[in-house]
Amino acid sequence: MPAPDAHTPTLGSSAATHILLGMLNRRIQVPRATAEGLEVSNLSVAYDGPSVLTQVSLEVAAGEIVALLGPSGCGKTTLLRTIAGLERQQAGTVRLGDRVLGDDTTFVPPEKRRIGMVFQDGALFPHLDVGQNVAYGLPRAERRSSRVADTLELVGLAGMVDRMPGSLSGGQQQRVALARALAPRPGVLLLDEPFSSLDTSLRVQVRSEIHHLLLELGVTTVFVTHDQEEAFVLGDRVAVLNDGRLAQVGTPDELYRHPVDRWVATFVGDANLIPVASAVGTCRTVVGDVPVVGEVDGPAELLLRPEDIRVEDGDDGVVELVEYYGHDAMVQVRLDDDTSIRVRTGADLTHQRGDRVGVAYVGPGAVALGV
Amino acid sequence: MADRRRIRLWPHRVMTANATDAPRTGVVGHRAGVRRPPRTLTAAAVVTAALFALPGGYVVWRVMGGSASPLALLASRGTLEPLWRTIQLAALVSASTAVLGTGLAWLTTRTDIPMRRLWRIVVPLPLVYPSFVGAAAFISGLAPGGIVHDLIGYLGVDLTTRLHGLTGSWLVLTLFTYPYVYLPVAARLTALPGAFEENARLLGDGPRRVFARVVLPQIWSSIAAGSLLVFLYTVSDFGAVHLMRFETLTQTIFRTRLFDRDRSFTMALLLLVLALLVVAAERTVSRSGRRRGAGLDTVGDRRSLTVPLGRWTTPALAATSSVVGLALVAPAVSLADWGLFGFLRARQGGMPLRLDWHDVLGPTWNTVWISVLTALVATVVVLPVAYLVTRHRSRLGEVVNAVVVAGFAIPGLVVALSMIFWTMHASPFEFLIGSMPVLVFAYVVHFGAQAMRTAQVAVGTVPRRMDDAARLLGAGRLRRLATVDLPLMAPGLAAGAGLVMLSTMKELPATLLASPIGFRTLSTQIWNTYEALFLPEMAILAMVLLCISAVLTWLLVVRQSEHLR
Repeated sequence: MPAPDAHTPTLGSSAATHILLGMLNRRIQVPRATAEGLEVSNLSVAYDGPSVLTQVSLEVAAGEIVALLGPSGCGKTTLLRTIAGLERQQAGTVRLGDRVLGDDTTFVPPEKRRIGMVFQDGALFPHLDVGQNVAYGLPRAERRSSRVADTLELVGLAGMVDRMPGSLSGGQQQRVALARALAPRPGVLLLDEPFSSLDTSLRVQVRSEIHHLLLELGVTTVFVTHDQEEAFVLGDRVAVLNDGRLAQVGTPDELYRHPVDRWVATFVGDANLIPVASAVGTCRTVVGDVPVVGEVDGPAELLLRPEDIRVEDGDDGVVELVEYYGHDAMVQVRLDDDTSIRVRTGADLTHQRGDRVGVAYVGPGAVALGV
Repeated sequence: MADRRRIRLWPHRVMTANATDAPRTGVVGHRAGVRRPPRTLTAAAVVTAALFALPGGYVVWRVMGGSASPLALLASRGTLEPLWRTIQLAALVSASTAVLGTGLAWLTTRTDIPMRRLWRIVVPLPLVYPSFVGAAAFISGLAPGGIVHDLIGYLGVDLTTRLHGLTGSWLVLTLFTYPYVYLPVAARLTALPGAFEENARLLGDGPRRVFARVVLPQIWSSIAAGSLLVFLYTVSDFGAVHLMRFETLTQTIFRTRLFDRDRSFTMALLLLVLALLVVAAERTVSRSGRRRGAGLDTVGDRRSLTVPLGRWTTPALAATSSVVGLALVAPAVSLADWGLFGFLRARQGGMPLRLDWHDVLGPTWNTVWISVLTALVATVVVLPVAYLVTRHRSRLGEVVNAVVVAGFAIPGLVVALSMIFWTMHASPFEFLIGSMPVLVFAYVVHFGAQAMRTAQVAVGTVPRRMDDAARLLGAGRLRRLATVDLPLMAPGLAAGAGLVMLSTMKELPATLLASPIGFRTLSTQIWNTYEALFLPEMAILAMVLLCISAVLTWLLVVRQSEHLR
């Protein structure tokens, strides 16, 4: 074991060592081995009237980070709140580790679930200082221990113990909220759109800090977001919800490259959907020949991501719109058969609005989605 | 905000948009984020409703079960005349306060009247006078030995005017109740974005037409609500009309309570119905006002156009100062004059003051502790109902809330009367006759609604997520109440308790009727010394009451009202 202050290159540069080193440098004890697996099966929730969640099943392994992604009103927050016990399910089971938290006969109240949650706006107690906020969930004996200071140090707010929440910035408040949720060593951590109340520049910074921390601690985490980028960046896996049903669960890559249906394809990233009569083998399309993955025998749509297409000199259509993003650009081309196609190009713009251009497929193969 | 201001005047429930607009498709199942209320809370609310309904219910029961036919009594001249006088007076006072309150509010918020900030502080202050103290100050000022009588005497005119009857009651009640219109209207005007008026001006309207076409329609619901409150205050008033010898319903009830109970209770029922109608009307008016005003609160610059008064400056100034002079300064001077006269007379060896330290401190102490006790009890009693209505959106809670609000409409006189006779006739409860709990109960029923409104606002200020967060951190119901809810609600609850306290110390008829024998408060002592014509003593006690009430009014009403900004 290296000395706590050793920050020497001899230790190598693997990520694990780096993290360990960082922890030792902070001379704090990180809560270990509290992470538990979470299992939701056939969960249904209804308020007065129509159901909000229908037969949702989701397994989260211990230490995994899962994003719940969906448009507003799809039930993702309800799913989170039902896991927390803040809403009651009509049917289904919620299990944490080997404990049943809720099923047809059991309902463990939220205060007994050992679940940590960070709310959209942090929901810090405004009348308690930072230290008291973090200590709130600890057993009486531990409230005066070093646990509070340690957890605050973990989130990078050492020395803020006596500050009042109102005097903190939005990012700091969110980190206090995280410390408060982590302090009692929850089995699972739930985050409800934790970055949406922060402004854009801060959001990315806080997000990556928290990402680091979650990986470091190995906490089982479920978080809700409506932002596809956020879901992809943070989530080991992403669960896409649509209208109270689970549309697809998978790694970000799976979702992006192999969406199960049209809705997921368009919700997750930009999509050009090209109708074809039969999606078998290689299809001849407006952008040239496209090899098909996951064939559909019959009428289907091919999913062409904008980066799978290239704009070149030629005579297929007219550049209709150019959106310049700095790191890249999106070019919208109106083809001669009146379909409109979005193409991601490099930042060095070669074509302008009004130019006649050609388009060509350059991707590895397109997913066919049955119509 | 207009609504925050109104909290302090109308003790009704505050309707947040989602509280009223939430769809209610059925009691079964549950709504998003709304937990079913715990049974203890529901039970507490049901008990509260039963208790608050007791006085009114007893009046109805008495009238229905009385020996005389209630209809015959209702139709008799002895009933109809006081009723007519009551309505006449209330209508007059409402009308005059509507004009006075609105005018003053417009002058102090929209014009360049000199010393605007001072006027904004001073104009609502007549609230500190209980009507009977104000009436007593006016009458004693005009009586021989009073300051007005003396001043006229110096001029060599021996004129003894006596303020009484309809004119006297109307004048006094107008002067001491116009703040009930002024405050909500001024708050509404302050909250009203100046952009409306600016647009109207740009579209070619002069100040007068802007007021009529743009401002008035916007503040109309505040004016109506304020005037209805004045109406309610007037029909329930006992002190001022008694001193002015103007026989209204309250007067008749008081006079006939001992020898003609059937009549007394019939009149009480009549008064009850009248008051409930007024409250119902106010709720309708302010609800429609809220609906109209919804979505119009623009963010950003709230500063509004200032209308230059020009050659109207002097008349406006004269009008404002004469109202403040009459309503605030004159009664104080009159009382001070009598008090000083008493001291000087005693020092010069004349008739000694029939009042020593003991006689002042005793009632003062009693007044303070009984009103603090009432405030505490009222706050505790309404809190479960506020939780049910605001947090659990319970239907039952709404019903209980309506009962509590109705309690506010029942005049203190009627509550006390009902309770006294109930304790006399309810066999297992005779031990309560003339006891302190009955007095506190009467106060709580009468003023509980004032705490209710602020309690609902207070419960509403605790975000649901705060409670959720505490739950997930393992806090049970009691710990959440003690460590999250109560600390966050404390300012709101304190404001409500303060209002109840203020009303309790100013309350006369309930105190007169329901006090245990020998229990003296400032208001009963002021009343007694006045009735015994010990005017200097009356003046000294009244000044003590005014000082306490002024401090509370300052803390609760004036300091917090946004129109001062």
